[in-house]
Parts: sequence; structure tokens; C-alpha cells
Amino acid sequence: MRAGWLRALLVVLGVAALFAIPKVTGNEYVLALGVSFATFSVLSGGLNLVYGYTGLLSFAQVGFFGIGGYTAALLVTEQGWSLWAGAAAGGVLAALVGLVIGYSSLRLSRHAFAIVSLSFALLCVIVALEWVSLTRGAMGIPGLPIPTLSLPGGLRWRLGRPADFYYLLLGFAVVAHAVIYLVVTSRLGRAMRAIKLNEPLAQSQGVNPLSYKLLAIALSALLAGTVGGLFVFYLTIVDPSIFDFYYTETMLIMVIIGGPGSFWGVLGSSAVLAALPDLLRFTTDLRMVLYGAVLIAAMLLFPGGVGGWLQRRRRARWRRPGVTAP
Amino acid sequence: MDLSFYIQLLLNGIVIGVIYALVAMGLSLIFGVLEIVNFAHGEFYMLGAMLAYFLSMNVGLGYWPTVLVVTAVAVALGYVLYEALLGSLRAQSFERSILLTLGLSMVLQNGAVFLFTTTPRMMQTPYSYRNIILGDVRVSVMRLFALGLGLLAFGALYLILYRTRVGRAMRGAAQNREAALMVGIDPRAVSRLAVAIGIGLSGLAGAALAPVYAVHPLMGFSFVFKAFAIIIIGGLGNISGAALAAVALGILESVAGGFLPLVMADALAFIAMIVILLLRPQGLFGRGVRV
Repeated sequence: MRAGWLRALLVVLGVAALFAIPKVTGNEYVLALGVSFATFSVLSGGLNLVYGYTGLLSFAQVGFFGIGGYTAALLVTEQGWSLWAGAAAGGVLAALVGLVIGYSSLRLSRHAFAIVSLSFALLCVIVALEWVSLTRGAMGIPGLPIPTLSLPGGLRWRLGRPADFYYLLLGFAVVAHAVIYLVVTSRLGRAMRAIKLNEPLAQSQGVNPLSYKLLAIALSALLAGTVGGLFVFYLTIVDPSIFDFYYTETMLIMVIIGGPGSFWGVLGSSAVLAALPDLLRFTTDLRMVLYGAVLIAAMLLFPGGVGGWLQRRRRARWRRPGVTAP
Repeated sequence: MDLSFYIQLLLNGIVIGVIYALVAMGLSLIFGVLEIVNFAHGEFYMLGAMLAYFLSMNVGLGYWPTVLVVTAVAVALGYVLYEALLGSLRAQSFERSILLTLGLSMVLQNGAVFLFTTTPRMMQTPYSYRNIILGDVRVSVMRLFALGLGLLAFGALYLILYRTRVGRAMRGAAQNREAALMVGIDPRAVSRLAVAIGIGLSGLAGAALAPVYAVHPLMGFSFVFKAFAIIIIGGLGNISGAALAAVALGILESVAGGFLPLVMADALAFIAMIVILLLRPQGLFGRGVRV
């Protein structure tokens, strides 16, 4: 009980510290890293829900991210929707697409799901490039306007400064992680973990695997699509590079290094690795080679990631004589 | 639109379909025997095409020796790939195998971009620009060679799988791993050979298409995406199903490309895959769903 309170206090303090950063420093580079962390942590958190907890390797996250971005950008610029509505619509559309992909491929196997999700991500690039009348092809949609959000109480918030987007994306990330945390620590999360560990056994206990898998996919797609809708207004442009495989690769590395199925591990690795693209800027060409090598090494040497390693250590401590498990 | 236009489209479709089949059959063979989806498969197609380009343009090797050397190198690469990376994976580590081969794909693809840039190159051979004209139909010799090489590889693969002991062992391992183990089939030897053949086919496909389409480091990535769709349509692990689905997709794409916007032709593979998954999850030629 005491440990729980301590942890809650630490989380509240950590979030408060993150929100206080723009007050302490107006450094745009720090804020850009913060935006990158908030965005990637939502993407990797969603991937962790699908892959780490439910055991479905998905390459579709980047597709949901981009679908959300395109939907929000088009609805705001051409239909005059507000940013809230546009981003929410992007998230909902991404979730619907996720359900179609998940339902059609999961009836076969999780192997098929992995393959179909990759094909889907690649298809998104093709559609964004070739469906010129909707997406304007390789040019993309540049010059997205500075959005103004209406807040409860009749306030209007114009997102003109870098700090505004930092607040917005960090706020959304906090909400997203709270949702993910609630899911994985609840009955739902236990059912998902059971499906990952032993699907026939989970089924024999009355768990319907397909509905939990679809829930995980839809929720992660909803979060990825919404964050995509918000993120493109920070970039002020959406073009086919939003579907770049680089996003997939970064998300995967974050989940693998952090430890699939470890909430805090993946959150921590997102924070550390969000800074990595900038640290590796001196080798832009070789960055992806390096990522690939890291992936190979991680798969051969420590497939459980940091989270898995910590868990093994904790279990080893429990097994020692004279120490009782808390 | 006259008849010769259709025949032209059909012929082009068959050629590209046969090359799709080479890549997809290798992918299917590796999946059937090792239960590994090789995400780096397209990169070996790319490496085959790049190697063919350099052998013929920089070393000055003739067309046929180039094809032979590239295929031999690809088979050797397959052995190395199995010994270095895939051999250490256990069964039941499906996700690990995907991430491992995905990492390999990133290294190969981006390494090639780093070394050779993304500029497309065209491989010239003594036979380039030569056409065979039959009535109104005009076919380039290089396409016919690619078709011939593909059919030759089909025949060779068929003979290996159905007429040799080791081929029977491979099919046995693909049907039932435990039973194959029990009758004394060495799973490592069979797996090693399956990977070598699969990568060899991929390299051969690259060499065969290098003079027909432009060669660049990103070519494998979009190609393997179609190969994935093909093996799902044909039934996971079903090699002849993959071959049939590949030729059918090649023809469909070519004909669709003549009438529909480009985006439709490229999306066709994906749409076909989703439709097949919804209507017949085991694939067109699958016997039943393996769970």
C-alpha cells in the first residue's frame, strides 16, 4: 500500500516537472525533444499494448498515425473543422481501419496479422503518393494553419508558441498513458496477457481472444491516429513521409529495448530514445543501419529488453532463501 | 483497343508474374520449412539485381555468366544467413524471427543506400533494345530471357522437391516437423537447404529483372510487400499455390495497369489479399487453416 502511494506521488511529481519545463527554459530545442518524446511515447505505448501485452506484432501503427494526420489536416483545412474534432475523427477512422485489418487477418493467425499489418503500412505510402486528388501526392499538404482550441469555460487557446504544442502533446500523452495503464492493470490487461502466454488455455477459461485482440488494436489505433492528428499541426505539413518506415523502426526499438509488456520500461526507453535521432544526426545515412543492427543484436542477445531483465532479477531475488515476496 | 494490345499486356503480365513467383516461392519454402517469415527476402532480390548490374557493367561479364554467378552467390548468402542468424532461432519464436530479419533488411537496404545512393541504374546487355515482333505484338528479348529463366527455375525447384530424397525431406519437414524428426530427417540440414534455395531464387529473380527494370537499393522493399500478399493468397507455406497466385497477380496487375490509374494497379495485391482473407482465410489453395 505504501509503495503504491509512493509510486503515485512520484508519477504526479514527474508529470508536474515535465509541465514545468517551459517555465524554466524557453529553449526550443528542449521543447522539440519534449514534443518528440510525447508523440513517440504514445506510439510506442500503443505498440506495447498490441505487441507487448497481447502478443501481436504490428507494423500498422505508423499507418494509423499517418491516417490520423491526413484526416485531421484535410478536415481542418478543407471542411473547417476544429483541431479537436479533426484529431478525434482521425483517431476514430484509424481505429475503424484497424478493426478491418485485425478482423480479416486474425481469423487466420497472428502470423497473418503481422504480414497484413506490414502490407497495410506500405499501402498507405502508395495511396498517399498516388491518390493525388485527395492527398495531393508527394507535395503533401503544407502550410497547415495555427490552430485555435476552444477550452471549457469559453476560453480560446491559440497554439502560436512552441510551448503550446509541448503542453498539448504532453497533455494528450498523459491521458493516453493513463488509459493504457488502466487497461493493462485491469481485467482487460490480464486477459490480454493470458492470450499472449497461452491462447488455448485462456480460451478454455472463457476468454474470447479475438475480441480482446481487436480491442487492443482499436485502442492503439485510436491513440496513434489522434496523436498523428495533433502532431501534423506541430509540423505544419503532412506529406507521405508521415508513413515513413523510420517511425515504425523507432517505435519497435523503443518497445524492444524497454521490454515488451513492461509499461514503465517502454515509457522510460521512449524518453531516452526520443533524444536519439538528434544525437545521431551526424550519421543520418547510417542511422537506419545502426537501428537495424540494434534490432538484430537485441533479438539475439536480450529479447526481453530492459523490462524483462529487471523482472528476471526481481524473480531471482524472490527465489533466494530468507526473502519473502512482498 | 485491339487484340494485340491485350496480348501485349498479357505477355508482360506473365513475365512479371513468373518473377513474382520466384521470390514468393522462396519465401513460401522458407516459411513452410522453418516457420520463419523472412522480412529480408526482398533485399536479396535487390542485392541480386545490384550484383548483376555491377558484374555486367563494371566487370564486363556477359549476361549468362552474370546470371550464374549471381545465383551462386545468392545460394551461398542463404547458407551464411542460416548459419549466422536463423539457425539460432527456436521454433515458437515467430516474432523474434520477424524482428531479426527486419533488422537485417534495414541494415542491407540502408547500407546499400549509403554505398550506392538511391539513383536508379539501367543494366545494359548486348541483347538490350532487341525485340521479337510477332504480328503487332512486340516483346523485348530481355523479358523473354527473364521468362525463360523463371520457367527453368520452376522446373529445377519441382525436380528438387518431388524427385530427390532431400526434396522429399524438405516437404516432409514442412508438413509435420515432429514426424520428420522422428523418421530421422535432420531439421538443420533441411532448413539450411531451404534457406539457400529460397535466397538463391530471390537472387536469380533480381538478376533476371535487372535488365528489364531500373536497379536501385529500395527496389526490394516494395517487391517483397507483393510477395507477402502472394503467399497469403496462395496459402501460407504452399509453394505451388504461391506460384499460381504470383502469375495470376502479375497478369491482373498488368491488365489493370492498362486501364485503371496506377494507384489501383499497385493496391491490387493488397485488396486481393484482404478479400481472400475474408472469404477464404486458408488461402486459395490451402487445405485447411493451420493454427
